[in-house]
Amino acid sequence: MVPPLTLEYAGRSMTSPPALPSASAPGARGELLASARLFVEVARLALRRQLAYRAAAFAGLVTNLFFGLLRSSVLLALLAGQDSAYGLGARDLVTYTALTQGLIVYLSLFGWWDLMQNVYRGDVATDLMRPMSFYGFWLAQDAGRALAGLLMRGLPLVLAYALFFPIVTPTSPTGWAAFLVSLLLAGLLSFAYRFLVNLAAFWSPDARGIGRFAFTIVGLLSGFLMPLAFLPGWLREAAGFTPFPHMVGTVVDVWLGKLQGAALARALCEQAAWTVALVLLGRWLLGRARRRLEIGGG
Amino acid sequence: MIEVEHLSKHFTLRAPTGGGGALRSFLSRERRVVRAVDDLSFRVGAGEIVGYLGPNGAGKSTTIKMLTGLLVPTSGDLRVDGVVPWRARRTYVARIGAVFGQRTTLWWDLPVIESLELLGHVYRVPPGRLRSNLREFGELLGLGEFLHTPVRALSLGQRMRADLCAALLHDPHLLFLDEPTIGLDVVAKERIREFVRRVNRERGTTVLLTTHDLADVQKLCRRVMIIDHGRLLYDGDLGALQDRFGGERRLVVDLAEAADVEVEGARVVERDGPRVTLAFRREDVSASDLIRRVTERHAVRDLSVLEPDIEGTVREIYEKNLLGA
Repeated sequence: MVPPLTLEYAGRSMTSPPALPSASAPGARGELLASARLFVEVARLALRRQLAYRAAAFAGLVTNLFFGLLRSSVLLALLAGQDSAYGLGARDLVTYTALTQGLIVYLSLFGWWDLMQNVYRGDVATDLMRPMSFYGFWLAQDAGRALAGLLMRGLPLVLAYALFFPIVTPTSPTGWAAFLVSLLLAGLLSFAYRFLVNLAAFWSPDARGIGRFAFTIVGLLSGFLMPLAFLPGWLREAAGFTPFPHMVGTVVDVWLGKLQGAALARALCEQAAWTVALVLLGRWLLGRARRRLEIGGG
Repeated sequence: MIEVEHLSKHFTLRAPTGGGGALRSFLSRERRVVRAVDDLSFRVGAGEIVGYLGPNGAGKSTTIKMLTGLLVPTSGDLRVDGVVPWRARRTYVARIGAVFGQRTTLWWDLPVIESLELLGHVYRVPPGRLRSNLREFGELLGLGEFLHTPVRALSLGQRMRADLCAALLHDPHLLFLDEPTIGLDVVAKERIREFVRRVNRERGTTVLLTTHDLADVQKLCRRVMIIDHGRLLYDGDLGALQDRFGGERRLVVDLAEAADVEVEGARVVERDGPRVTLAFRREDVSASDLIRRVTERHAVRDLSVLEPDIEGTVREIYEKNLLGA
């Protein structure tokens, strides 16, 4: 005869999943849910905060559009009657200016100083005193801000372009999906980089110089100021060893359909790898910054 | 609740070595050690309201930063509720609350209510509890009129009330108040004190209050700790502090006609026509004896006795370092 204990055990394992300690299973899931909820709430409020400044957003949109047209005409002049330059035709070039101008706010391409200011004002102490992930909190805030940038600046700008110019768009659902993935990764990568740069504030009493340098580099090597194809060979190759081309260049190439199949998969994987690397580096450096604060004082 | 033993925090600064300035000090290995907190020991029981006083730069905020888990001590032991603050930061900070009078902990461009609801998520306050706390604190602090105003548009008094509410939403066991009434008018100060008193009484919240406004201390705290140069100068009853270091009482005499007043046990500190002010010590002579001595010798129109105020007492302690000797 089977011992009753085994029977009971068998009976239970039939109806419910393997016995995890009952306290930790819902606890861990609840913890995750609560964190996700907090992330969404913080992002939502950051989004709302941006949406409040509609007039400013409209003025910004007009400016972006104006400079976009200016950049288009310069690039078209460069073609000088030829069909294409460095593999980019007239339509590609116009589309390129639309996309890069549309990404300015989403990626904070002109610089982002929020965390730095937070450190210098001393508000960082308040954030550290809250039972939440400091990195996650800033990521959530930036996600809301970036989403507002897409909705209020990026999307209208590209639509305005599309009304007046024959721009290139992704042609297949796969193309659109790849673009969205690349766009999301670029946003994360850009945040991870900006966060790292801003962390300098923990070490330097005025890290603005470092910041300006760091953001200028992005403009040059990401493919924002000019298409990466226009860079001298050696510089383009050097840029290939940095995360910068994956902030703007990759997104544009995916939209234009310049990357297909294996090349596309490889580009997205590289983009993801750089994102993971910079996030990890940022979290590690944040730990160091915090320890410095704890030991060295305010 | 709070147990602090031989707590010290030393900061190392590069010593400026004169001439050559920044570069020299950058290169030199000379260091200067600042003892911001030096061998501090005290205990605070659950449900107490303790005033933590000291002049600027005494080490108050360094102590608070260690107590809130922001700074790691150089040496010594510090436990709150049995927890070492910086070791278990996330769990620890969920149990404490803080109000810094000098800066808000709310989000600058959000309406007050949104900040408060966000804090509910940050601290994972159960929705029912959040609602009931919001209702209760909102009523006591009169938040209703500006709940939907962005924080940046609030008056200082409104902001401080909102901050107090924010600090208590998650039912902290321990509340740090750093200059909670700074810059407020008399009525607003009184409202905040009343609220703190009530929260302490009804919820048993332990309060550590740092302030330069001694009226706060007088109205809220039975016990005070005074710190200077990183060391604890006094820890005990507020009344005893005044008895021991209260300095001199004053007797103001309006004479019928101007005259020299000379009485045993008191000295003249001010003379203004027929008004003479005498200073005397409790242990030398009682007020009634002194009055008798004066009225025996002079025709007096009016008299009044002034007790030393806590302001004067503390000023004397800071200035003369009375307790350090």
